[in-house]
Amino acid sequence: MSPATGPVKGTAALKRMLWDENPVIGQILGICSALAVTNLVKNTLVMCLGLIFTLIMSCFTVSLMRNVIPRQVRMIIQVLIIAAYVIVIKIVLDAYLPDISNELGPYVGLIITNCIVMGRTEGYAMANRPMDAILDGLGAGIGYSLVLLPIAMIREPLGLGSFFGIQVLPSDWTRWNMMVIAPSGFFCLATFIWITRSIKNSGGKK
Amino acid sequence: MKEKLKTILFTVAVTAVFTILVSGVNAVLADRITANKLVARQFVVLDLFGLASETVILTDAQIPGFFSEKIVVDPAFKDSGIESYRLKNSTGGLIVCSFSGQGFWDNINGFIALDLADRKIKGIEFTMHGETPGLGGRISEPEFKARFIDKPFEPVRSDGLRLKLVSEGTAKKTDEVDGITGATGTSSAIEKIVNYSINRILNISEGRAAQ
Repeated sequence: MSPATGPVKGTAALKRMLWDENPVIGQILGICSALAVTNLVKNTLVMCLGLIFTLIMSCFTVSLMRNVIPRQVRMIIQVLIIAAYVIVIKIVLDAYLPDISNELGPYVGLIITNCIVMGRTEGYAMANRPMDAILDGLGAGIGYSLVLLPIAMIREPLGLGSFFGIQVLPSDWTRWNMMVIAPSGFFCLATFIWITRSIKNSGGKK
Repeated sequence: MKEKLKTILFTVAVTAVFTILVSGVNAVLADRITANKLVARQFVVLDLFGLASETVILTDAQIPGFFSEKIVVDPAFKDSGIESYRLKNSTGGLIVCSFSGQGFWDNINGFIALDLADRKIKGIEFTMHGETPGLGGRISEPEFKARFIDKPFEPVRSDGLRLKLVSEGTAKKTDEVDGITGATGTSSAIEKIVNYSINRILNISEGRAAQ
């Protein structure tokens, strides 16, 4: 997925993830969770923080070990590392934020299968220094959040009349039940990608 | 051959390291997680007994102590699989029992408060469900749970039900409860679970034949 135009280092590795190579709108990764958790802003925020933590830790660890990991088993090792960090997040949430942990249900565990994490460890961390890998992971996490949070900010008020759990629209607001269930995630995400890609293309990029 | 062995040993070593990391975090926090779950359940029971206002000043760590000070387990429900509680030193008929049943997607678990003297439901709380968010998931909203408060569970209706869930906004009689529009499956599951649970609770605590 990375362009073959030489190694990207430092803050450039972070910045390109926010727009040019945003993992969701550019690479269409992490779609399942984008559909599942974006009906509540609070859950989306926790999910994004969880993903950012997983990305930073996994990219850092994989990058540290990149010269000793045997090529044949590198993917197994990556999944193992990612899974370990995700389980740690789940346990910490259960211990300190039990309510949010209950609401997120299986989605935290599903960070393991989020293609973005494995995409960054395999595509970048395996070939770059730890500091660059951290920035790359952080960038991908923020890029993911930049897509999910706006979608949640549209879905929650329209679907439930609330924002971050606080009622913002008048009580006689007719809730769009459609906005709460997963299909609306498809519509919102597709519209979002359409708009952002139109902006990108009009900027002269292909 | 040597390369292969190295690969295997490396994989085993990495697995061991991360297993220890995860088990370590789990071991450190396991007590806290168990305590959180217990406190969450006890809080639900206290709330159904109307004691929630008294718990506001308590920290989570003080809830179990407060619980055992106020609440006593009903011995009649031993071996029934139902958790059942009464207020300590109280002659009233208020009883809080756990219930469980198949919802539209996943099991629905919770607690129900019955006043056996007044023959009325005093409250209902869902501790676990997997209903569709925004549709069946609305059962966990306070507004829906309030629909059950002070509904009489006797006399039994002519169709054998104690309470019937009807279309939203059409509940007229006292033995009818508004269901949820767009969640017919959840509404009828709740109807089944509530009726079954009340029958079972009365059967055990008053020794009557189940309906």
